Amino acid sequence: MSADTPPLPLRIRGLAKSVPGGRVLFEDLNLDLRAGEVVAVTGESGAGKSTLLNLAAGLDSADRGEIEIAGQALSRLDEAGRTRLRRDRLGFVFQAFHILPHLTLAQNTALPLVLAGASGEPALARAAELLAAVGLGGREADFPAQLSGGELQRCAIARALVHGPALILADEPTGNLDPETADRSLGLLLDAARSRSAAVLLVTHSARAAEAADRILVLGRTGLTDRHGG
Amino acid sequence: MAADPPLSRTLLGWMVRGEWRAHPVRTLVAVLAIAVGVALGFAVHLVNRSALVEFDAAVRSVSGAADLRIEAVSAAGFDESLFPVVARLPGLAAVSPVVEVPARTADGRSLTLIGVDPLRAARVTPALAAGSGAGFGAGGALAFEDSVWLSPALRPDGDGTFAVLAGGHRIVLPVAGGLPSVEAGRRIAVADIAAVQQRFDRLGRLTRLDIALAPGARPETVAKAIAARLPADARLSTPEAESRRTGDLSRAYRVNLGMLAMVALLTGGFLVFSAQSLSIARRRAAFALLRVLGLPRTGLFLQVLAEGAVLGLLGAATGLAAGAGLAWGVLGLLGGDLGGGYFSGSRPALDISPGWAAIHAGLGLAVALAGSLFPALEAARAAPALALKSAGQSGDPRRRPALLPAVGLGALGLAFAFAPPVAGLPLFGYLSIALILAAGVAAMPWLARLLIAPLARIGAPVPVRLAAARLAGAPDQAAVALCGLVASAGLMAAMGLMVASFRGSVDDWLGAILPADVYLRVAEAETAGLDTALQARLAALPGVGRLEARRSLTLRLAADRPAVVLLAQPLPAGASAPDLPWRRGPVPAAPGETPVWVSEPLSRLYDLKPGDTLDLPLAGGRSPVRVAGVWRDYGRQFGALAMDRRDYVRLTGDAGANEAGLTLAPGAHLPDVLQGVRAALPPDLAAQTEVAPAGEIRRAALRIFDRSFAVTYALEAVAILVGVAGVAATVSAQTLARRREFGMLRHVGAGRGQILAMLALEGAFLGAVGAVAGLALGAAMGQVLIQVVNPQSFNWTMDTRWPLGLLGGLAVALTLASSLTALLAGRSALSADAVRAVREDW
Amino acid sequence: MGALTRRILMAAAAGAALPPAVAHAAPTFAPVVPGRRLAFPRDHGAHPDFRTEWWYLTGWLETASGPLGFQVTFFRTRTGLGEGNPSRFAPRQVLFAHAALSDPEVGSLLHAQRIARQGFGLAEASTSDMDIVLDDWRLAREPSGRMRARAGGDDFTLDLALAPTQSLLLQGQAGFSRKGPQPSQASWYYTLPHLEVTGDLVRRGRTARVRGRAWLDREWSSTLLDPRAVGWDWTGINLDDGGALTAFRVRDARGRALWTGGSLRTGDGRLWTAPNGAVAFEGGRTWTSPRTGAVYPVAPSVRLQTPQGERRWALTPLFDDQELDSRPSGGPVYWEGAVRIPGGRGYLELTGYAAPLRL
Repeated sequence: MSADTPPLPLRIRGLAKSVPGGRVLFEDLNLDLRAGEVVAVTGESGAGKSTLLNLAAGLDSADRGEIEIAGQALSRLDEAGRTRLRRDRLGFVFQAFHILPHLTLAQNTALPLVLAGASGEPALARAAELLAAVGLGGREADFPAQLSGGELQRCAIARALVHGPALILADEPTGNLDPETADRSLGLLLDAARSRSAAVLLVTHSARAAEAADRILVLGRTGLTDRHGG
Repeated sequence: MAADPPLSRTLLGWMVRGEWRAHPVRTLVAVLAIAVGVALGFAVHLVNRSALVEFDAAVRSVSGAADLRIEAVSAAGFDESLFPVVARLPGLAAVSPVVEVPARTADGRSLTLIGVDPLRAARVTPALAAGSGAGFGAGGALAFEDSVWLSPALRPDGDGTFAVLAGGHRIVLPVAGGLPSVEAGRRIAVADIAAVQQRFDRLGRLTRLDIALAPGARPETVAKAIAARLPADARLSTPEAESRRTGDLSRAYRVNLGMLAMVALLTGGFLVFSAQSLSIARRRAAFALLRVLGLPRTGLFLQVLAEGAVLGLLGAATGLAAGAGLAWGVLGLLGGDLGGGYFSGSRPALDISPGWAAIHAGLGLAVALAGSLFPALEAARAAPALALKSAGQSGDPRRRPALLPAVGLGALGLAFAFAPPVAGLPLFGYLSIALILAAGVAAMPWLARLLIAPLARIGAPVPVRLAAARLAGAPDQAAVALCGLVASAGLMAAMGLMVASFRGSVDDWLGAILPADVYLRVAEAETAGLDTALQARLAALPGVGRLEARRSLTLRLAADRPAVVLLAQPLPAGASAPDLPWRRGPVPAAPGETPVWVSEPLSRLYDLKPGDTLDLPLAGGRSPVRVAGVWRDYGRQFGALAMDRRDYVRLTGDAGANEAGLTLAPGAHLPDVLQGVRAALPPDLAAQTEVAPAGEIRRAALRIFDRSFAVTYALEAVAILVGVAGVAATVSAQTLARRREFGMLRHVGAGRGQILAMLALEGAFLGAVGAVAGLALGAAMGQVLIQVVNPQSFNWTMDTRWPLGLLGGLAVALTLASSLTALLAGRSALSADAVRAVREDW
Repeated sequence: MGALTRRILMAAAAGAALPPAVAHAAPTFAPVVPGRRLAFPRDHGAHPDFRTEWWYLTGWLETASGPLGFQVTFFRTRTGLGEGNPSRFAPRQVLFAHAALSDPEVGSLLHAQRIARQGFGLAEASTSDMDIVLDDWRLAREPSGRMRARAGGDDFTLDLALAPTQSLLLQGQAGFSRKGPQPSQASWYYTLPHLEVTGDLVRRGRTARVRGRAWLDREWSSTLLDPRAVGWDWTGINLDDGGALTAFRVRDARGRALWTGGSLRTGDGRLWTAPNGAVAFEGGRTWTSPRTGAVYPVAPSVRLQTPQGERRWALTPLFDDQELDSRPSGGPVYWEGAVRIPGGRGYLELTGYAAPLRL
C-alpha cells in the first residue's frame, strides 16, 4: 500500500468467533470496505451479525483473526485505545435508536464531539448542521420524547456522522420503523454516508433494507459470502 | 489523536442537568438527605461549640488569667490562714483570695456572689476587681465595703440597692457599679471580701485562691510547693483540670448528640447510595451507549462519581446554611445544652468557625461520594455491548447473595461491644453500633431473599402473587431500596429501646429515692439552712408524722473531676443502712468504722466497691470511711455518696440541714401540711425554700427527662423521614422503570386497580421487611446502647424495657408509609401511555 | 512631705465614693496637736490612728555609668472603712508603696508599685519601730539604726542599706509642722538626712553594687491641706558640707503661696526652722511635658530669709523628664526628680501643674 493511498475503513482477515457455549459462529471471515462503500450483512437469527458488529467496534474480542479500522489493528490496541478509536473513527446507528431521553437532540447529536473533548458551543453548532442535514433543522432544543421513531433514527444518523467517522456500524437501523419511514431513514443514512465518504456496515434482517447497499453479504459458518456471487 | 480528557465537563453538565430535569424530586431527595445529615451534624456541633466557648469564657471571667487555683472541696471553704502561706511561696506574682457564695436574687433566680479584695484581684482576675478602674486606683477599691457590683445580666432593685438571698439570709446592699468585663448572661455580683465574710457567715473561711505565677516560674514546681501545704479541705486546680472538669460536665451528652447527627448523615449516605444505585441501574443503557460512543471506563467512573459529588456539594451547602439556622434557633429556644440541663442561666452566642464548617461540608461530600462509589464502579465495570442490548435488567435472580461479609461485620461489632471506654467515652460502643448497622445493611440482600421468598409461595389473589414474585425475582433491588429504611428504622428502634429502658429505670428509681410524702429543700444553703430548732419545729407541726432532715453538700474529691454530692441522711429506725435502690450491698460495716454508700456513677468513676476505703475531706480534716454499698442514682451524674447523718454530725459538728423529707401522719391533709410547713419557715428562709409533694417532684423529674430526650426524638424522626424518602425514591424509580411491565400487564388484561394494588402491596412488603429487619437490628444496637454506651458515657446502668407499642407502631408506620409512597409513585407511572411503553421494548 | 500627692488622692477618693450608709459611721481620726514629745524608736513605727502616714526615701546613687536618682516610698492610710467588721480582710488600713529610678540614660522615670490592705503578715506596718512589709517589699530599721529597703518591679530592683550619719532632724516645732493657715492643718514631721547608702541595684538581670546618699522624710497626719490649695513644691537637699535644706510651699489657684515652711541645718548641727513666709520658690527654666502638656519649673531658685540674711540656691534637675504619670492607676500627674545645687544633691517635687489637685 503506497503512502498516499488512504487505509481501508474496515479490513477483516481470518476472523473466527464462537459463543461461550462452544457453538462456532464463523471460522474464517474476511471483508474489505472501501471509503463510501455500503455493505449489508444478512443472515439468520443467531448467525452472529450483532457479534460481528461488536467485534468491529472493539467491544468483543475474536478467537482468531484481525480487524483493522482505518489502518489500525484492534488487537494491537488496549481498551483505552479501542475506546478512542470508536470515539474518533466509528459511528453507530442502533435498532432502538438509543437517544438519551434527558438530553436535547443537539446534545445527543453532539455526544461524540463532546466525548472527544470538544466544548459545548462549537459542538452544538456542528450538531445543528448535521440535524439540518437530516431534516431536523430548528429542532435542536427538542427532547426525544417529542419525536417520532423515524425522527429519532434521523437524530441517531446525525450523531453517527457528526464527527466525520471512517466507518458507520448500523445494527438493524430500520427494525423499529414502519416500512415507509424505514426506507426514508435508510436512504438518508446511506446518502449522508456516501456524500461524506464514510463506509457503512449494515446488519439487517430486512431484504428490502439490504437492497439499498452496494454489496449484500450473507453471514454463515464459513464467513461472508456474496449473495449474488454466492 | 487528541489527549483524553478523563472527564468532560460539558458532558457532566449535560448529564446532571438532564437527570435533574427528568427526576427533580428524586434528585432533590438525595440532596436533602445529605443536607439533613450535614445540617444536624453542624447544628449540634455549633450548639456544643457555642456552649463550650461560652462556658469557657464564663470560667475565664471568674478565674481570669489565674494560672493556678486553690479550691475548697466543699461549700464550707477552707481556713483563710492558707492565704498568707500560699502568698509567701516563691514563684507567685499575685494571689487573690475569694469567697464565693451561691445565692439567689429576690425573684428566685440563682446568681454567684463573689467576695474579693479588689487590690489583690486586680492583678489576677481584673474582671472581678470591681470599682478599681485599671486595678490600682485605691479610691474606688476602698469604697468597696458593703456595696455590690453587678454583671451586665443583673439589674439593681428600684432604689439602687440589690437584695441577695443566701443561706437563709436576705441582705440588701447598695449597688456601686457594674462589671463591664463579665460576659453578658453571667449572673455575678461582686462585693468586698470582708463584707461577704461578715454578712454571709463566712468569717475566717475562703472558697478559692486565684494565683498568677511570676514570669518564668515553672507551674509544676509551684504546684508542688503549694500541694505540700494544702489542708484536707482545699485542692489545687490547674486551668487544664478546670477546663477538663467543665468539659466533663456535658461531654458524654454532647458526644451522644454528635453521634446521633452522624447517624442522620450516615442515613443520608445510604439514601445517596440507593438513589445513585437505582439511577445507574436505570441509566445502564445510557452509560453503555456512552461507552460505545467512546467514553473510557475511567471517564464513566468519574462521571458517576462527579454526579454524586455535585449532589454532595449541593447538599453540604444547603446543610451548612440549615445547620447554622437550626443552631441559632436551638440556642435561642433551648440554650446551650439543648435542654439537657447542664449549663444553667446562659444564652450563648452562635460561634461559627470556617474550619469546622468545612469539615462538616467535607463529611457530607464524603458520604455522597461513598454512596456513589459502588454504583460508579458497577457502572464502569459493565461490559458495554451486553448492557446496550439488555438494558434495564439487573443481575441473575438465581445468584445467591453472600452472607459472609455481614456475618464478619456483625461479629466484629459484637466484639467491640466488649471493649472498654476510650478517654471516658464509649468510642468502641459506637463503633460496635456502626458495625452492627453495616452488618445489617450488608445482610439485606440475603435477608430480603429470606423474607421475601416465602411470599412467592403463598396462594393469594393475583396482585399479591405478582407483588411477591416481583420482589422475589429481584431481591438485590429490594435490598438497595431497603438499606436506607433498615438503617433508619434500626437506629430509631435502638434509640426507642434505650430511652424506654432508661425512662422505666428512672421512674423506678424516683419511687425508691422519694419514699416520704413531702420534700423540702433550701436552695444555695450548703452551709446553713434549717438549724436544729427549726427542724424540731417542723417535725412538731400538725399533720407531720416524721421528719427526716438531711444535709446535702458538694465535695470535690479530685481537682479535675466535677464535684460529688454528699448526702448525710438519717437511717430508718433500727436499720444499719438507708433505704436506697441498691445495686450492690449494703454490707454491714465493722464496729468503729464509718460506712458510706456510694452511687453507681461514683463507684464507676472512682473505682470503688463495697469494702473499699475512702478519705473524705470533711471539716478541714480527712475522715476515713468504708464503702458499704452501691446504689443506683440517675440524679447526680458525677457521683453521690450517702452517709448516716449521725456520723456526719459527729465528724463535722454540723447539725444543720438543707433538705428534709416529711411523712404525713395518718389522716393528715396534704395541702394543710404544705401550708403549715411554708408558714413555719422564717420569711427570708422561705424565699429560698422549695416545698413540694413527692408526686410533683417525680412528675417534674420525668418531664425534664422527656424534654431532654425531645431533641433525640427529633433527630431520630428526621432519620426516619430520610429513610422513608429513600423508599419513596426507590419505589418510584423502579415503578417508572417498569412502565413497560405495567403496559404488558395491561395488555394481557390486568386492571389498573390490580396493578395499583400490586404496587401498594410491593411497597407494603418492602416496608414490612425493612421494619422487621430494622427492629431486629435495632434490638441489637439498643442492647449495645443500654449495656455499653450508657454505662460508659454516664456511668449508670439500666434495665431493659421493651417499648412494644412504639416498636409495633414503628413497624406499622413504616409499612404504611412505604406502601403509600409506592402507590403514589405507581399512579404517576400508570398515567403514561402503556402502548407506547411496549413499543419501546424492542 | 512629698507624698502629699498620693495621700490626698486616696483620702479624697475614699471620702467621695463612700456609700451614704457607711459615711455616717466614719471614725474620728487622731488630730495633730503640738506639745507631744516624739519618742523613738516608737515613732519610727506606724501611727494607725492617724489618717495618713509615710516613710519617704529619696537620694542619689553612684554607679559605674554615672549618678542615678531613686525614691522608695511607703504609705499607710486609715480608710475609715470596715472599722466594725471582724473579718481579717476588713480594709481598715491600706499600705501602698512606690519606687522610681531616675536614670539620665533612660531619660524618663522607671517605676514600680505595690498596694494591699493591711493584714495576714503580708502587708503590715509595725507600731513599735520602723518595719513595713508589703508583699515582697520591705522597709525596716535595725536596732543599730541602720535601715534596709527592698523594692522593685519589672524594670529594676533596689536592695539598699541606709545608715544614718547624723542625728534625727525634727521639722517645725519639735516635729509639729504647720501646713496651712488653720492650726489643724499640720503634721508630725521629722527627717533623717545624709543617710549613707550601700546596696544592690538589679537591672536587666544584672546586679550592680551601688553607693550613695539619701534622705528619709517621716510624716503622719489626719488633716493636711487648706481647701484653697491646688498644689505644692517641695525640696530636700543634702548639702556637701553636711548641712540639710528643707523647703516647701503650698500654692493657691493663682500660684501664690498659701503657706511655706522648711528648715536649714548647717554642717555644724545648728538648726534653723523657717517660719511661714520665709521660703520662696522662684522662676527659673521650665520644661513642658510632651505627654501631658504640663509646664513645670524644673530649675527653680529656692530662697530662704534666715536671721543671718537671705540665702539662695539654684536647683538643676538630673534631667528634665522626671514626670510621673500615675493616672492609669488612679493617681495624679506630678514631677518628682533628682536635682542638684552647687554644693548639694537632693530631690524636688512639683505637684498641681498638670491639673489642680482637688480635695
